[in-house]
Amino acid sequence: MAKALGIITSSGTHIRVEGMQEYRPIGAFSFLGRYRVIDFPISNMSNSGIDHIQVYVRRKPRSLAEHLGTGRHYNINSKRGKLQLLFAEHSSENDIYNTDIAYFMENIELIERSHLPYVVIAPNYMIYAQDYSALLNAHIESGADITLLYHSVDNAKEAFLNCDILNLNKQKGVESIEKNRGSAKNRNIFMDTYIMKKDLFIELIHKARKMSSMITLPQIVNASCGELDIRGIAHRGYFATITDFKSYFDANISLIDIKTAQNLFNPEWPIYTRTNDSCPTQYFDGAEIRNSVVSNGCLIEGTVENCVIGRGCEIKKGAVVKNSVILANSVICEDVHLENQVVDKWAKITKGREIISDPQAPGYIRRDDVL
Amino acid sequence: MKQNNMLAMILAGGRGSRLHELTNKVAKPAVSYGGKYRIVDFPLSNCANSGIDIVGVLTQYESVLLNSYVAAGGRWGLDARESGVFVLPPREKADSDLDVYRGTADAIAQNIDFIDQYSPEYVLILSGDHIYKMNYAKMLAYHKEMKADATIAVIEVPMKEASRFGIMNTDEAGHIVEFEEKPEHPKSNLASMGIYIFDWKLLRKMLLADMKDPDSHHDFGKDIIPDLLADGKTLVAYKYKGYWKDVGTIDSLWEANMDLLDSNNELDLNDPTWKIYTEDTPALPQYIGPDAKINKAFITQGCIVEGEVTNSVLFTGSTVGEGAKIIDSVLMPGVEVEAGAVVQRALVADGVKIGKDAVVGSADSEHIELVSKRVKGVE
Repeated sequence: MAKALGIITSSGTHIRVEGMQEYRPIGAFSFLGRYRVIDFPISNMSNSGIDHIQVYVRRKPRSLAEHLGTGRHYNINSKRGKLQLLFAEHSSENDIYNTDIAYFMENIELIERSHLPYVVIAPNYMIYAQDYSALLNAHIESGADITLLYHSVDNAKEAFLNCDILNLNKQKGVESIEKNRGSAKNRNIFMDTYIMKKDLFIELIHKARKMSSMITLPQIVNASCGELDIRGIAHRGYFATITDFKSYFDANISLIDIKTAQNLFNPEWPIYTRTNDSCPTQYFDGAEIRNSVVSNGCLIEGTVENCVIGRGCEIKKGAVVKNSVILANSVICEDVHLENQVVDKWAKITKGREIISDPQAPGYIRRDDVL
Repeated sequence: MKQNNMLAMILAGGRGSRLHELTNKVAKPAVSYGGKYRIVDFPLSNCANSGIDIVGVLTQYESVLLNSYVAAGGRWGLDARESGVFVLPPREKADSDLDVYRGTADAIAQNIDFIDQYSPEYVLILSGDHIYKMNYAKMLAYHKEMKADATIAVIEVPMKEASRFGIMNTDEAGHIVEFEEKPEHPKSNLASMGIYIFDWKLLRKMLLADMKDPDSHHDFGKDIIPDLLADGKTLVAYKYKGYWKDVGTIDSLWEANMDLLDSNNELDLNDPTWKIYTEDTPALPQYIGPDAKINKAFITQGCIVEGEVTNSVLFTGSTVGEGAKIIDSVLMPGVEVEAGAVVQRALVADGVKIGKDAVVGSADSEHIELVSKRVKGVE
């Protein structure tokens, strides 16, 4: 059992995933067929022995509330553990004031009441595996006030443009947190993951409130770089952010490669999700399927190449689906040709339709649409 | 109980010795089936879907895995208040020594105290080793409508196979007039499915008498049903139409898996209104590699296919290496087939490894080959 309260944050107002996010928060996005994005931070916490977890949601909580349920499927002790879904009920009409600090402030008593001395804060829009108890130990041993997790990348010019970066000194001390403006290839992408004492966290929330109602957690931490000992720890392994539509598409497609997937999934570090009790997938005579990740409950009769297929999808005879992410319960009818698409849940592409987009600008087919 | 005043008792103590090594360490109801299920998931899910809240599971042979498996009633939604799955192995009692269940009827008789706690009006007796979907609520409605003392579910079997079953001879109204166990010259083709609804008060009385009868086999088919008929009780046959399989042998277990490959298979595990529930595993979705070829297959989560799969069923976490070929076969959970190996007309048992380039089974074998030990690769 770790000595930390787990806090899972919602994406800030600067992050927007076209289409998908109109229906649900990023944490509730379907990911790699059978998962939702939030399964990753919650499983990381659960596997790290963190069994008191607060999940913050800014808006459209329905799908998240349904998915999390009692939290039992995350292997959290059903008596000692607790998974709380916390809403920002008094959110402002003007989204600029709906900061993470605002929703922490709204639920501050619940944070104060926790008996756990530390907090581990992780976002619901990033995909990675991380042992937080090892991180917490490293944090305690280092004597730092705050530890931040980052991932070094060499493509920060064209990717991670919605993320923050850490500027580190040679001793891994954090000198500042700033926006990635795409001005350099090699950057330390901040994984919006923090470890600190709970009391310091509460202090920062109050301090931020006093400064401005628009200030965010990374901003107040950045403002504290001079007076606090803030250090970075590098994360290794698979890392993806879901911070715009293209990054959602790319993260799904990247994990079709099993070697890449093995950098994220480890039998010793299971990623839990809510079961749907779907039966196995049935492949019919004439189905052609290559290089794809397929969930249960599908009926596949057509050609599927380089795709992620969600639960309960139908790919009918003569259909060709390439390089696409098909979410649960979609139906791709006879002789349809799809390339480079994200097809949202319950959509139906009728017989003979051809929808092909540029791989650099994948298309989006809305939930419940019949095309 | 509140819903229909009926509780279910599942007979799950049998070994299923014709399944050979598959039942060395587990009872037949715990044998894997259909990619992600165990056989006992079928009666348990049917109970849950039929609105039955209390289910007793009578276990005896190699029951360690089965006991812990069924005890997690939440898997089937049977974990609400006043609902549950109760594991009932033989036990020592204040007034009797520990004794094995001497037969199907004795297993229920030894648990009269358990059933009495709920004072049900009806008791449903089920077998833990059959694969089928059935709404027991409809059967109960029929039992009530016919004002029966006992109702037995029957299925029409081909006349030439009828002598393999317990056959019910009925009159025009559906009343059972005669029961014949594996008759040489069957008069009807209505086979008993081993599914009974009894009025509890009556059954209770019969069981108490049967326990004391030194000549009894303590069996529902051999003793209780004939006794009820002899007593002139009203027994009716409830005709079931649909998929029903008793997988007694390796060939029939293989066949029942192969049935799932048919696009119009009667069992239809994909029906959202009658799902079959099972253990949840945190396995990945299935991974189909860049050079994989899949033609007619039933594949579940956790599988990694890099070779060819034709007309086969792959269970949770089984893997097929590059260039390997799986033809007309069943790979049980966790089977690992290494690169270049060929598996044909075989049923590979849980966790067995087939080494590189090895060949098991053959296209023209009379029976399905059961592979239950590691097969070494070709050096």
